[in-house]
Amino acid sequence: MIRIGSVLVSEGKGGVYGEKMLKGYRVWDPYRSKFAALARIYDGIDLESGWDVLYLGAANGTTVSHFADYVRTVYAVEFAPRPMQDLIEVSDRRKNIVPIMADATRPVEYAAFVSEVDMIYQDVAQPNQAEIAVSNLPFLKKGGTLVLMLKTRSVDVCETPESVFEDSKTIIESSGLEIEFSCWLKPYHKDHACIVCRHV
Amino acid sequence: MQRYWFGDITDGGECIPFSRETNELIERCRSLEPEMDNFVPVEPETAVECGVFSSREDYIAELRKVTAALAREKISEYYSSGDIELIQMVRMLNELDHVINLLVERGMEWYIVKNPDFSRKYKNMNQKKVIGMMRRQKRSGLSSIAAEIDALSDKRTRLMKEISGKAVEVAPNCSEIVGGLVAARLISSVGGLRELAFLPASAIQVTGAESALFTHLKGGTPSPKHGIIFQHRRVHNADKAVRGKVARVVAGKLGIAARIDYFRGEADVEFLKKAQERIDAVFGGAGGDVE
Repeated sequence: MIRIGSVLVSEGKGGVYGEKMLKGYRVWDPYRSKFAALARIYDGIDLESGWDVLYLGAANGTTVSHFADYVRTVYAVEFAPRPMQDLIEVSDRRKNIVPIMADATRPVEYAAFVSEVDMIYQDVAQPNQAEIAVSNLPFLKKGGTLVLMLKTRSVDVCETPESVFEDSKTIIESSGLEIEFSCWLKPYHKDHACIVCRHV
Repeated sequence: MQRYWFGDITDGGECIPFSRETNELIERCRSLEPEMDNFVPVEPETAVECGVFSSREDYIAELRKVTAALAREKISEYYSSGDIELIQMVRMLNELDHVINLLVERGMEWYIVKNPDFSRKYKNMNQKKVIGMMRRQKRSGLSSIAAEIDALSDKRTRLMKEISGKAVEVAPNCSEIVGGLVAARLISSVGGLRELAFLPASAIQVTGAESALFTHLKGGTPSPKHGIIFQHRRVHNADKAVRGKVARVVAGKLGIAARIDYFRGEADVEFLKKAQERIDAVFGGAGGDVE
């Protein structure tokens, strides 16, 4: 990944969402994007130029546009109509984004479009986030990476974020994934955790 | 057999391309749900070997066309349901009310500074009067701002009528029972006609009184009798003794009306007649419990 000093950046045409530019590169703000926060905290994460990525919960395409700067193809899945409008606009300008309007809890809706990918990146606000990740495993190559951004408050507001984190890790591990790294995204995002796992 | 967006691949590995026409592919993909047992994700290379596409780039370019077109279709389908626009209209109305109130209040403070012997006490000053008073402040910025507030109020009134009209279209039964504006407010508050149709009557009754409801649930305070439906005349004009009862009956009938609106989409004269009679009976103090 490209860093200028300690600032994470990506190559590519700017002006997608009013991001800052630094020496011709697009600044990737850890306070806005959870993946940038993860890259700040964990050195072991990378995006390689030959990769295909399945992005679940693409929203307005902010993080997606940075992904597209790094990797070969991004399959961006989003369910809600309002952010989908923005995502289509982003994908019009970046030819390696495939915008798919479908429900991430039902892989069957987009199975016909998505190829086997090197990374699944999941950032959805659903109560059963860990289960969704597991149900998308058929798309992940052996040895591929799954990055789960866990919005603990969406899982259960009554539980403590810590216990939601532990429960989710248990579900992930029992599905046969290997947890490589996990952390809280403090101080960038409150009550958000991240689990990086490997498909073995 | 594996089914993909561009065609099928048999278990024997034979490729059956569907078409190279974008429109035909969109048509195919609209309802394509592949078998998920033993599912194997598509390889762009396979599609190229199959002869449908000249290269991986060609494959991705066509795929993007198809998925983007499908997404656009789904978006416009979603927005065409009518209640989505209604929600935006109601929120705009609420925002306008908020802004107009703020501006009038601020203008009043300014007016008082310019007229030190003025006091609002013992005067019946409705908003229109206040705005008129401000407009008469000649040679002052206040006067022109007051004119703007006045114009904004007119637009608010127009929007209100528009909302009533739209609500009658979207939810004819609900609008008949509590009036277009209240029906629209209910739909906006719960997030859509579908949401309203799936709500129990008891929830419809207290929608809009959430804070009172939750203090009640936490203990101590009495439960709220009515939320948004209080704005309907038969609820707020009812005698205090039967007001809760009226609210309950109105909410009960609204629950049924919302379901007719969502699933059938047209006014049910027979139902409406009975519902109105029932509400009027309770309103007049004659009714017992909901049957």
